[in-house]
Amino acid sequence: MRILAYFDSSHDMPEEIIIAAGFTPMKIMGDVHQPNDPADQYLQKFFCPAARSFLTQALAQSAQWAGIVVAHGCDATNRHYDVWKRHVQTPFLYWFNSPIRNDDIAKRFYIAELKRLIAALEKHFNISISHDNLKSAIAQSNEIKIRLKTIAALRSTKDISNSEYFNTIVACLTKPKNECIDLLKQIEVEWKNRPPFPQNKKRFYLTGSDITYVEWMELLDECSIRIVRDDLSIGERYFTTTIPEGNDPLEAIAEYYLTIPRPATKISLDGRIEFIVNSLRETPVDAVLSQNLKFCEPYAYDAVPVNNELRKRGFKVLHLEREFTPLFDQQVINRISAFREML
Amino acid sequence: MAQQHATSQSPIRIKTLPHAQELKKPMMYYFLRSIIYPKLPWKLTAWTGAGFPIELLWAYNVFPLHPENMATVAAARKQSQRLIEHAEGMGYSRDLCSYCKTNFGAVDTKIKTSLGGIAKPDFIAITNTICDTHWKWFQIQARNFNVPAFIFDCPSYVSGTSDETLEGYIDYLVEQFFDFAAFMEKHFGKKLTEKKMRKVLEKSDRLCQLWQEIYELRKAIPAPYSSAETSASFFPLVVLCGVDVGIKFFEKILADLKERVAKGEGTLTSGKEKYRLLFEGIPFWYKMKFMYELANYEAVVVYEPYTYSFGPRKPLNLSLEETLRHVARLMLDIPYSYNLEKRIDYFKRCIAEYNIDGVILHENMSCRPSCSGMLDLKEAIQKECKIPVLILQCDMNDPRAYAEGPIKTRIEGFIELLAANKKAK
Repeated sequence: MRILAYFDSSHDMPEEIIIAAGFTPMKIMGDVHQPNDPADQYLQKFFCPAARSFLTQALAQSAQWAGIVVAHGCDATNRHYDVWKRHVQTPFLYWFNSPIRNDDIAKRFYIAELKRLIAALEKHFNISISHDNLKSAIAQSNEIKIRLKTIAALRSTKDISNSEYFNTIVACLTKPKNECIDLLKQIEVEWKNRPPFPQNKKRFYLTGSDITYVEWMELLDECSIRIVRDDLSIGERYFTTTIPEGNDPLEAIAEYYLTIPRPATKISLDGRIEFIVNSLRETPVDAVLSQNLKFCEPYAYDAVPVNNELRKRGFKVLHLEREFTPLFDQQVINRISAFREML
Repeated sequence: MAQQHATSQSPIRIKTLPHAQELKKPMMYYFLRSIIYPKLPWKLTAWTGAGFPIELLWAYNVFPLHPENMATVAAARKQSQRLIEHAEGMGYSRDLCSYCKTNFGAVDTKIKTSLGGIAKPDFIAITNTICDTHWKWFQIQARNFNVPAFIFDCPSYVSGTSDETLEGYIDYLVEQFFDFAAFMEKHFGKKLTEKKMRKVLEKSDRLCQLWQEIYELRKAIPAPYSSAETSASFFPLVVLCGVDVGIKFFEKILADLKERVAKGEGTLTSGKEKYRLLFEGIPFWYKMKFMYELANYEAVVVYEPYTYSFGPRKPLNLSLEETLRHVARLMLDIPYSYNLEKRIDYFKRCIAEYNIDGVILHENMSCRPSCSGMLDLKEAIQKECKIPVLILQCDMNDPRAYAEGPIKTRIEGFIELLAANKKAK
């Protein structure tokens, strides 16, 4: 099955439309091991390094993809589309304008945008996307979300490393969905038989910018902390709720994407805080690790009020600004380790 | 090496217009009210920002308080650095917008209005059309103040957007206008009258018409008016679109310019205009001398997309629905935030119409959206217009980004390129 790649700074791209169109949706993740020189010809160094890495990947690999859809997200996604249009060679580049509001007006607009996306795919690829295709895609997507939620819940009771959890999510965002379901079935059996949560590890909640490479999760493993809950898009935001399986699939997709836990790129701040607090009530943790990637503005803005509110409610919070590098940053390790020791 | 003219001969000066000082009137009108109105329980005030149709607030008799504008005041009064550093002490990253951090610092330190302070509003009204920072910043402050916030969600009008899709975006915005009406009624019991809205639009259009006439006169050679003055004089367009006070000021400025053009006089010392420049981006508010000092190199900025952006003509004599659609279109399609394809075409047109010899692009570390596509813009101008382009990395409100020596060196190098390019033509 051919890949249709998408650039999405959170969880705004309705993958179900791509699945229903007969493609494998693949979230562009970038490659932290590759220098960003190709993207840096067109983007200044003070832009989000992950977004620059996505462009570097697209410049190198777009020929292997049937096309690319860019979903409205942060300022980087929104403005970089024009740069991608100028420099990335692809037969199909599409802008999907998901709203930042999530009321009834936004829902009508979102459904109109879904229809425009479907029409563009049908026209370009000479295909037809039926309601049955969409319903089947929704069912497949939901199965992945339900299975992910089940295994993610094991993080707080079993010995599951941060990197294992991360790699599982990434697989679900980048591989064919059938393969993902098989993979998740195997993982569920395996993780349920793991030893209990190690006594020498601390339980943490992870919030902030998306982590896009496993080395940062390995760094947390190195610090003897375990992320047992999170609100990342490459994380719980992707599977915490399922798509309603009603009669109208577009209505259902719109309902889902506008009611999933809000990222920092969408309104509202209070909604974000409430989701985090509710998760923390469900799953006791030792502390919250808040972080933002250097130049990631939405999360850098949110970090102050979100962390202040969490502290006000009695949670212990450490905030870090991190670089985009696969190398273990000893200063970060020291700060996390010192914080861990204080707990 | 390019020499400053001042070193060997009498200095080249920017000759300000006879009525330039009258800017004080609209400024006093605005600043006095921005101090008094928040204290009067019967007066409604709102925080707003660039890109929001300010006429909508005036039509509701809501006085617009403008945190960005006050941040520029703080910079001009040499307060912005300490306010920014205060905000960074509160936890806000060095990489975030310096307007925003100036405001966070101003509110937290309760600095007075004359130094860039701003009062708590009754509500907040903003859009995402210029940047995400606007609504992120305002959302945080609305939460801090515990006041209601209305955020217009403007879809991104990217390169290649079809007319049909654009109409869909406009539909979405028009629905939000009605939602704003519901917001005003719910929170403040206020209703908009069409008559009042049309009156406000008429005044706003008059102000913008005058601004566009002023811009037309800036095409004259020598240039009668430079960014050294427009960076201040465009003030009424920021907050006073819809009231009379700015109109009178612009009428006087326009009359001055007509007289100057008729006499064949320029803003620089007679006979000294050598290089006509376009400056893209927000000025360095803490260092407005920069615009004046260009005169020392016989250079004058004759066009700025930034100040031009604030003055689009407004719809008159249209039905209510057509009026709303027109305003919505203006919100989506602002020169300052044009998509890359439109931006390149726009620059090419301005360069031709204003006889531009070179372009300075302010690579503003506080405004990543405006910097996106800037490298492509530079290349397109150089290739298609065959004029030099200088990218100057700096910041609009954070003086820590301004390094006097390196900037001077880069300007001198740029002037040398301009000279060589002129000679080659």
